[in-house]
Amino acid sequence: MLDYSKAKDLREVMVATFNAAVEEGKNLAVLVSDSTSTAKIGPFKEKYPERLINVGIAEQSLVGTAAGMALGGFIAITTNAAPFLVHRANEQVKNDVCYSNTNVKMMGLNAGVCYGPLASTHHAIDDVSIMRGFGNVQIFAPSDGIEAAGIIRYALEHEGPVYVRMDAAKFPQMHEDSHPFEPGKIDILKSGSDITIFAMGSTAHEAMAAGLELAEAGIDAEIVNVSSIRPFDVKGTTVSLVKTGKAITVEEHSVHGGIGSLISETIADQGLGCRLKRLGFEEGKFAVSGPRDEMRAFIGIDVKGIVQAAKDMVKQ
Amino acid sequence: MKNPFNFDIAELKKASCEIRRKVLNMNYKAGQGHTGADLSEADILASLYFHMLKYDKDAPKHADRDRFILSKGHGVGGYYCTLAQAGLIAEELLDTYLLFDSKLPGHPVRQKIPFIEVNTGALGHGLPIGVGLALAAKKMKKEYMTYVLTGDGELQEGSNWEAAMAASQYGLDNLVWIVDRNRLQLADFTENINALEPLDKKIESFGMELYVIDGNNPEEIVSTLTSLPKNGRPKAVIAQTTKGKGVSFIESQPAWHHKIPNAEELKQAMEELSC
Repeated sequence: MLDYSKAKDLREVMVATFNAAVEEGKNLAVLVSDSTSTAKIGPFKEKYPERLINVGIAEQSLVGTAAGMALGGFIAITTNAAPFLVHRANEQVKNDVCYSNTNVKMMGLNAGVCYGPLASTHHAIDDVSIMRGFGNVQIFAPSDGIEAAGIIRYALEHEGPVYVRMDAAKFPQMHEDSHPFEPGKIDILKSGSDITIFAMGSTAHEAMAAGLELAEAGIDAEIVNVSSIRPFDVKGTTVSLVKTGKAITVEEHSVHGGIGSLISETIADQGLGCRLKRLGFEEGKFAVSGPRDEMRAFIGIDVKGIVQAAKDMVKQ
Repeated sequence: MKNPFNFDIAELKKASCEIRRKVLNMNYKAGQGHTGADLSEADILASLYFHMLKYDKDAPKHADRDRFILSKGHGVGGYYCTLAQAGLIAEELLDTYLLFDSKLPGHPVRQKIPFIEVNTGALGHGLPIGVGLALAAKKMKKEYMTYVLTGDGELQEGSNWEAAMAASQYGLDNLVWIVDRNRLQLADFTENINALEPLDKKIESFGMELYVIDGNNPEEIVSTLTSLPKNGRPKAVIAQTTKGKGVSFIESQPAWHHKIPNAEELKQAMEELSC
């Protein structure tokens, strides 16, 4: 099912998409805050050195300068580690980009706990909650290279602020080469009728593997990849929730404000009598650190944890 | 493109006086506002909008316009009154200052008024944005200038210094950073809170070409801004001003940062401001 032969680092896809966009005539400027290696920006730098701005280790300046360049006519793209974008430059993101509605694309690199062992300063497990609190900005989280390319192509076309929650690892391809990314649509990876498992970003891979394992145990899970967080597909989500009446959310993110909250809100707003278990970082677990796979297991968003949560819910 | 007014010094002085009268009337009517800041910047804004800035009154977003960013967003009262004085917003709009859903909220919002470039009010944001604009101009081979007006208390925000470093690094001689040096911030004099001096040395050490002028004198403002060399270095102007300038009982009084005149004070202020 999963095509490991086409495993791609999302950042390499990102940079290739930037290069292609310039070739097509788009007026891009890519800004880094000394984060050239974080962004794997080499191939862009090589081809378009005049379009790459390194502001140094100065994230507030990174975002403010990007807003200024966007006002000056560029599609301005920030590429740095998510914690230093959404936390360090939070007020610039809020005012200079979101509320000023400037044409800035913010790539939140190595989000979640990609930097697992480096501890909480380097984790971004609240980036989606923070971004969801701001006006104007659209929010996406790709699950594989195909989706990353689609999201970034869309972001460069869309006039206005975009936040892309990017992962650092290499992921097998979950989508056909021709898969069209559609903003505001959920992406059903596997249809099912017993329970819906919603996953954000790279946890879609765990959710998919869990779905296959659950099938062997006689549980028919619907696996939904939530890559478009804003705009969000209320209608498609509702259809799935009505069908299964049971849901689990999976995210390498705080359970507050991410897709767990998003699905809770949908259940409440639509008046659905639906059970829900949110998997992610809960109170008491925010400051753990260590290898990423062990952290995922610790908060139950690995395959084993998802399978167990689904079995428990179906049993009840 | 040119400045649509090109006022001489006498006309600029009259314009800044009219702006000050508008500020006091507007703030009195609204019952709120940053009166001290609005008054200290009036001569700088008049000099920019009636002499320096190149723009088209009928095409606010013209690609070749000079850019102006009011980083000290709390000085928005003086800004709105300048725009009204220049006919860039309707005079009647001043009566809606701070009202619900007004086009004139308490800090500049670009979605409300086309001549406003970016939303400011949180301090320390204007200069990095100005760097981005000036850099974009260089990259796109545009001739426009970018002017950023910061306060002085605002310079306690570190983001200004990030931007100053970057401006020098990129050789942005199309960027002019003007500091409204009125020596007062919300709580007290800047030097009693977190001293800025020697501000000139600090700014120069970041690689900017520095000018220190009387920021309440349009003659000095205009003569300085019109003679800035294009030599690969970003410009900084410390405009020494008096907070509350033009009204004797408001000048240099910390309490007038956001105090509003009562009817009697308004009357006296109007008598002092005969244009």
